[in-house]
Amino acid sequence: MPEFSPWPDDSSAFHAPQSRPISPQQISHDPEFRSLRRARLRFATRATALSVGAFLLYVLLSSFAPGVMNEPLIGHFTLGLALGLGQFVVMAVTAWRYATYMRTKVDPLADHFRSQLRHEPLRPRPAAQAQTPAPAQAQGTRGFPTW
Amino acid sequence: MVTTSAAVTDNFSLQLTFVLFLSVVVATLFTALLTAPQRDEIGEFYLGNRTMSPLRNGLAMCGDYLSAATLLGSTGLVALTGYDGLMYLGGTTVAWMMVMLLIAEPLRRTGKFTLGDTVALRMPRQQRPVRLALAVCTLAVATLYLVAQLVGSVALLTQFTGEPSPATRTLCVVVIGTIVIMYASLGGMPGATVIQIIKAVMLVVGITVTAGWVLHRFDWNPNTLLSAAADRSGNGLQFLEPGLRYGASTTSKLDFFSLELAIVLGLAALPHVLMRLLAPRSVGVLRSSVVWAVGLVGLVCFAAGIVGLGATAVVGRETIADTDRTGNASVLLLAHELGGGVLTALLSCLAFVTLLAVAAGLTLAAASSLAHDLYGEVIRKGRASEREELTVARLAGVLIGVLGMLLALVAWGANSATLAFLAFAIAASALLPTLVYSLFWKRFTAKGALLSLYGGLISSVLLVVFSPVVSSTPTSIYPTSDFAWFPLQNPGIVSIPAGFLLGWLGTVLSDRRESAPYEEFEVRMLVGAADE
Repeated sequence: MPEFSPWPDDSSAFHAPQSRPISPQQISHDPEFRSLRRARLRFATRATALSVGAFLLYVLLSSFAPGVMNEPLIGHFTLGLALGLGQFVVMAVTAWRYATYMRTKVDPLADHFRSQLRHEPLRPRPAAQAQTPAPAQAQGTRGFPTW
Repeated sequence: MVTTSAAVTDNFSLQLTFVLFLSVVVATLFTALLTAPQRDEIGEFYLGNRTMSPLRNGLAMCGDYLSAATLLGSTGLVALTGYDGLMYLGGTTVAWMMVMLLIAEPLRRTGKFTLGDTVALRMPRQQRPVRLALAVCTLAVATLYLVAQLVGSVALLTQFTGEPSPATRTLCVVVIGTIVIMYASLGGMPGATVIQIIKAVMLVVGITVTAGWVLHRFDWNPNTLLSAAADRSGNGLQFLEPGLRYGASTTSKLDFFSLELAIVLGLAALPHVLMRLLAPRSVGVLRSSVVWAVGLVGLVCFAAGIVGLGATAVVGRETIADTDRTGNASVLLLAHELGGGVLTALLSCLAFVTLLAVAAGLTLAAASSLAHDLYGEVIRKGRASEREELTVARLAGVLIGVLGMLLALVAWGANSATLAFLAFAIAASALLPTLVYSLFWKRFTAKGALLSLYGGLISSVLLVVFSPVVSSTPTSIYPTSDFAWFPLQNPGIVSIPAGFLLGWLGTVLSDRRESAPYEEFEVRMLVGAADE
């Protein structure tokens, strides 16, 4: 279906063709919104538990099991020091995963629902949209001062 | 606190520091006044220039987030206690994960100017008492942290001139405090942003170059650095093992865990950091900014660890501990050893600018909360005009600055780290539960918010009052009396669960019908508003 079609995209039978903006309450009951919410919350809790939990566990291990942490690896590097460096790696990976996850899994759906709130002509569903360059990206690099 | 001091720097670097500091202050004040809100627009005063690029936003976030405590205090801790100090630096980095994963985007989508706006959107009918409670907690956290920064400036000055006379001390606090008030009240958020970005660039460059210099001295071989540090630490290999500082007993281990908990959870709820998250124009820009900030914060903390180890390896523990018992002098001593007077002057200038920038951010955050939540919504019930609220915000900035100066003059001998830790504990036990519940818990009610805000604030303050910080040990405020029945110096391990528990309890005890409708809020939090 072409993007400028006056008819709303009714590929999801849940939405009746509208002539007015969808209310947040309606969106809230949309099964797709529910899966968006579940996915978003699950990722946030898991990633937080992993990165913050790993660090607090590291502190507890260092305090209460120093024998394990003092295991020498190479030269003066002990297991504890290596795990400490590992915290920075965990952080970098988490930040990278977060940015990717939000860009690919969350943003398309969120954009879709937001355009429904605004009552714009509906965009194609996220699956189709993923092939076109994401507009948010272009926006991020334009219109700013040079650095 | 400090035994001998003049040893840190010679006259040349003192003068150079002064000239450098003065030129940075003059340049930033000038820019701050130029970029200050020209019209009486309250949004510009609270949020600043909203078209900044992600890198600049990330630098400003990093600037707000890392205080002089990280630059001087944590490196000192690493220099004196090795492994335990490194764990402390790790906590500072990990805390930013909380901001990125849980708080940043939901807060940006539901927030306007202050944390109160988010909570008011969530429970519109009972917003006034909750806004009042939020303003009280924000004020408590910001004032404590502000006093910590000002006390830190006196401690820093001590390293140049030796124990300062009361007149020098007052002059130092008043001068720094006045500059802070000018940034916050005249410049608003645009002014605070200018100084944050300049400070962040100086911090990142300064500490990375110093760390590189240290590594270069040890032939870029970390193992040589570690063994040299262990050699000169006076503790041998124990320096590279946990327990040097906190390992004496189970109590001190728990104390350390309590501190880490308050840092990891509390840094994420500091009012000036939260306010900074609202500034970017769109959620996309915010996300890139926060990811930039992850990198910058990680880099600074990592480099600070190398600098701390380098200080021990190059200067030796004895000199560091003799100069300042808390280790705050380690960076400057190392700079003097490596680069002579010039590097010392550069790094001390950096430390003063860092103090200044964080203090300005805090004053601005507290002033916004007072003007927007307390004056605009509680006292004037939303009927204040923008011009009126802006005037109140400027006056509130002056008021908070003066209050901070007075408290700092009274408490100048206090340990600035202790004050900062109490601020983190209050932020983690009062502000964080309300923030997290408001965003993610469907049933959360105003009663729960009030109970967790006031409960978290009171429990953390009371626990510190009855802890060894206040009485019973030689380093306490009242060393002669003993009413310390709480054994830990850091209340976090008890007060943070208490804050969350009280929020839950207040919600469960209130009528189910009191829960405000969550659906609309949730859609806004995950999708955004129609006009975004």
